[in-house]
Amino acid sequence: MHDKRKRSAGELGFNGLLFLGSLILLWNAYKISGFESLSSPGSLPMAVAFAMVVSSGLILLENFRTPDRDGTVFLRDILPPVIIVMMLFIAGYAVLLVPLGFLPTSFLFLFLSILYLQRGGLVFAVSVSLFALICVYVVFRVIFTVLMPAGIVPEGEILAAIGRFFGGAN
Amino acid sequence: MQALEYFLIPWLDLKLLFLVAAGTFAGIYIGAIPGLSVTMAVSILIGFTFTWDVYPALCLMVGIFMGGVYGGSRTAILLNIPGAPAAIATAMDGYPLAQKGLAGEAIGIATVMSFVGGLIGIAVLAIAAPTVSEFALTFQPRDYMLLALLGILLVGSLSGESLIKGIFAGAMGLLIGTVGMDPLTAEERFTFGFTQLWGGISFIAVMIGMFGVSEALAQLHHIDKQAVKQKIGRIVPNWSSVRKYLPLSLQTSSIGVIIGALPGTGGDIAALMAYDHAKRVTKNPEVPFGQGAKEGLVAPETANNAAVGGAFIPMLTLGIPGDAVTAIMIGALFIHGLNPGPMLMIDQPQMFWFITGALMLANIFMLIFGLTGIRIFTKIVEMPRSVLIPLILLLSIVGSYAVNNSITDVYWMLAFGVLGYFMKTYGYQLGPVILGVILSRLLDDNWRRAILSENGSLAGLFKGILTSPLSLVLFTMVVLIFVSQTPVWRRLRRKAGIPATSHDQDTTGSGA
Repeated sequence: MHDKRKRSAGELGFNGLLFLGSLILLWNAYKISGFESLSSPGSLPMAVAFAMVVSSGLILLENFRTPDRDGTVFLRDILPPVIIVMMLFIAGYAVLLVPLGFLPTSFLFLFLSILYLQRGGLVFAVSVSLFALICVYVVFRVIFTVLMPAGIVPEGEILAAIGRFFGGAN
Repeated sequence: MQALEYFLIPWLDLKLLFLVAAGTFAGIYIGAIPGLSVTMAVSILIGFTFTWDVYPALCLMVGIFMGGVYGGSRTAILLNIPGAPAAIATAMDGYPLAQKGLAGEAIGIATVMSFVGGLIGIAVLAIAAPTVSEFALTFQPRDYMLLALLGILLVGSLSGESLIKGIFAGAMGLLIGTVGMDPLTAEERFTFGFTQLWGGISFIAVMIGMFGVSEALAQLHHIDKQAVKQKIGRIVPNWSSVRKYLPLSLQTSSIGVIIGALPGTGGDIAALMAYDHAKRVTKNPEVPFGQGAKEGLVAPETANNAAVGGAFIPMLTLGIPGDAVTAIMIGALFIHGLNPGPMLMIDQPQMFWFITGALMLANIFMLIFGLTGIRIFTKIVEMPRSVLIPLILLLSIVGSYAVNNSITDVYWMLAFGVLGYFMKTYGYQLGPVILGVILSRLLDDNWRRAILSENGSLAGLFKGILTSPLSLVLFTMVVLIFVSQTPVWRRLRRKAGIPATSHDQDTTGSGA
């Protein structure tokens, strides 16, 4: 609970967006059932959206009144390139997950992000991401039996083949 | 007798025993690795264990919870980085001890005392919960409504820089919880015409986004921070030093249980209050507080583990989570078709005693793992973040996909991750959002029930609140939270010399 803090870069804009979003949500909440009755399906949504509008409005107002900046730069301290790149990586991962399948997408994602974050070290990135992927796969696919999109890798057949191999060996 | 039988289920089944052990072991490391938090781990784990039976899934999660609360103390002592918010107070005297070369001793005492605290917390849970749930049966819908509000407000006011931001976060969570078809009238709420939104937004997606992705993104700021190596000697503490601190640990455990049991307050606040208490009652410490006083280590460590047992009381008896971690545990119980609340104790007493038994077991495993394996530990904690962060992100995506096999959930998760990142950066707390999402349904149902029972009259509702002692107490508490944020109150506090509890914004791992 600081008595007064300075304004960070982009803070005003973010708070403004939250306020705007809250207003839109309040309008939508009103459209659910209006002021029909206190027990209508729209009553809680309207109450909480109203609370959001009021609180974000107050935050925005207070923010507006503090002209002092704390010397942060938006693209350096708040959203530096490394975070933008990683956000793009995960967005790409999510997009490719279904068409490409779990194994290739995950490998690509781990490899690229480790390579990028480690700033070089190709062998390190390949070996670590392969090792990590195998661990994740064994733990989650085999132990937790989570179903992941197979995509282009005929995962089921491979698993079945391994099963047959061990089954046959016994 | 029946209770004992249920209590012993996880002890006698080899598979369950193993899962509790594995969970506790994993929890210690998750709690200890800066950048991983219990909230993150449990929320991602729900995505993976929802196909399991409820017993094994609970064993794993209880273990992680217990181990994680303790694990945070390790890095607090060794690196001065609390692995979890509950370990913030531990670092104050733990790190100076490590600097003096007494890291092993500090870890040993912290471990034994965490065990003592955990034991007391569980004992209180076992004794108090049946009574509380009987009492809870007399609760009116308006009481539940007030309790839910209280929980969100407490998390909002205690865990962050301003109540108003906490209110915004809590309201946002409640609103997210209302998206979809209204369960009573099937009216669409906030669906914007999309049929995909009829079922609502998966709360697991919100949780993983807010605690997995946003935390991982925030960690990218510290990607180059190097871990400091410490030499560790003897760990197992001698009996005389344990006995010496036992009276203090009993006091601070009670603080821990009570704070943990209050809706909205968890281990981090319990630890800070216990530290404060130790400072007041220890007249002549061997070493001054802040420079390596063992009392300053004992107090927060007992309190935060005692708070675990305490936190389960409102969660299991009222269905009201104490903090973000218990909110996620409630989410896990929902997923497994359980409905925490007073009826749980009546309909499914075995579930309550099972959880208590698993907690006790986890506490014992915590003691065993805590006093051994320290050498591997230092290696694992030094894992570079450039590997850790991509892994967290990968698990977040897999976890959110796995629940419904739906890529839409992944997009929601990412959206909430990015939103959570900015909210965190600009000083909004994320704990109230999760509490809001979890409590939304309860609040909505009870509000409508309360107002319907008064024939839709707000005046009738207020009359009900003012004439029932319980409702009045709850209502007064809600009002007090608002008053406590006004300038008048703050001036009073300053006069009384109570420092405002400030939370390090840079602490890794996000709890409440």
